[in-house]
Amino acid sequence: MSEAQKGAVPMRPRPLPDEASEGYWQAANEGCLAIQRCQDCRRWNHAPSLNCPACGSGDLDFEKVSGEATLFSWTVVHHSPGPGFAGKLPLLVGIVELAEQPHLLQVANLTGCSEGDLHLGMPLHVEFERIAEDCALPQFRATGGQG
Amino acid sequence: MWALSNKVAVAGIGYSALTRRSETPLVQLAKNAIDTALADAGLTRRDLDGLATSPGMPRYGGAKGTVEGVDVVTPWFLGEQLGVQNRIAYTGSTNGMVTQAFIDAAMAVASGVCTHAVVYRALHVPPGSYVNFDSTFASGQDQYFAPFGFSVPPAWAATVLRRYFEMFGYSRGDMARYIVDNRANTQLNPNGYWRGKPIARDDYLDARMIADPMSILDCDIPVDGCAAILLTSAERARDLKQKPALLSGMAAGTHSPPSSVPMTLEDIWTGCEQVAERIWASSGMGPTDIDNAHLYDGFSPFVFLWLEGLGICKRGEGLAFLRDGHGALGGKLPINTGGGALGEGRLHGMTQIIEAASQVSDRCGERQVPGARRAIATISNGLTKSTGFVFSRGEP
Repeated sequence: MSEAQKGAVPMRPRPLPDEASEGYWQAANEGCLAIQRCQDCRRWNHAPSLNCPACGSGDLDFEKVSGEATLFSWTVVHHSPGPGFAGKLPLLVGIVELAEQPHLLQVANLTGCSEGDLHLGMPLHVEFERIAEDCALPQFRATGGQG
Repeated sequence: MWALSNKVAVAGIGYSALTRRSETPLVQLAKNAIDTALADAGLTRRDLDGLATSPGMPRYGGAKGTVEGVDVVTPWFLGEQLGVQNRIAYTGSTNGMVTQAFIDAAMAVASGVCTHAVVYRALHVPPGSYVNFDSTFASGQDQYFAPFGFSVPPAWAATVLRRYFEMFGYSRGDMARYIVDNRANTQLNPNGYWRGKPIARDDYLDARMIADPMSILDCDIPVDGCAAILLTSAERARDLKQKPALLSGMAAGTHSPPSSVPMTLEDIWTGCEQVAERIWASSGMGPTDIDNAHLYDGFSPFVFLWLEGLGICKRGEGLAFLRDGHGALGGKLPINTGGGALGEGRLHGMTQIIEAASQVSDRCGERQVPGARRAIATISNGLTKSTGFVFSRGEP
């Protein structure tokens, strides 16, 4: 534990990038939502992997996406997931479907809305929440339109 | 149809005490369950020559318990502790769920590698909570979930249930009857953790939310304990103490959702349908051949999603089937007649297999489905590592 962390409020868990995910988290840290895409079959692939799950190609790269998404499903978490979420409950967690491809899904906290507003297909847009000096999480904000 | 259909049988069943936090070490609970299963069949430890399990502690976040005999019980350690390690010809240990070890053990018996195999699942409730993500970093698949507070497995099931509710116009009120009836079934199960504690509809509607719409009563209860099943050949089983339950078919699933999410409604449907296709092919049966069903209920939505995947109900109609009481004892298709894992305690699908085998051998006492001939057990959420089994009556 670093000096700065001693006695501090516990942090939410930080993603630990790996060989496949490094480009995703690096882009997020720079305020860009970049999703892995197969350069052979052109399918988008999330979570990132070393080979394309659709065609097996190892030629994958990160490409910036629009940041547009719709709400695929959600939950309101009441039971604490861990010490880093003290004071943050209940927590709105969405599964969002990115506009680029059907069933291209990711998990995010939902902002700009309350539980009663949520509905399938609700339009969302990415934003970034900085949780550490070198780490930002892609989150999704309700854009106010009707889904 | 599987060439070895009805050649392997469940010939004995054993439980340890199931309590929330036991003073008895896990290895002793495992020994109790195995001795009970052997005695149930009229056998002793000296007859045992196969042991199989999935020994891991399924903890999310925090330190995973790995202490042998306390947190986990591997078959090698257990063989020693039973004093029969040099008689054990087959040990099975899977990383998936214990019900995959059941498949392995059934094949070991069918192929003659061993004669009397016990499949067991020993589970220990860790100090604190099963769910407590207290690490600084989230790696592997956790990196996409834990930073968002999405490391609570009931929350994963909640996203499935929510999407189902929204697509088909259901609400928690539609789930209440099943949960209440299921708890009533538990009252007829001597092993049930929740025996002696029936609930009413309002208890369900007012239950504490874990991750909306999943309440505490939609989640199985973690217990300290062990369940054990003795497998042998159908031929050998006919010489033993209990009526055999014949294993007519078995199957495992391999469908996965995108790796960025733990589960989705659509992927669960696809996965359940895949297991269904395989189990019906293996057993040579179909949905109308089954007279009781034991559908995994670690989280309640899986029960009606299995009904749909198995082809017993159409997509979107499984919850109505439960809501209208068709799954109750005396209903069209009695489901989880002993209260499932929601009522009996978390034993990772052993409950479903044991209840299915018990029904077709007339061993269910007050909750017996009269004349039950064929029972299905399905385990897990339909996604990869899920399993299905059909058991048939061994004698008229």
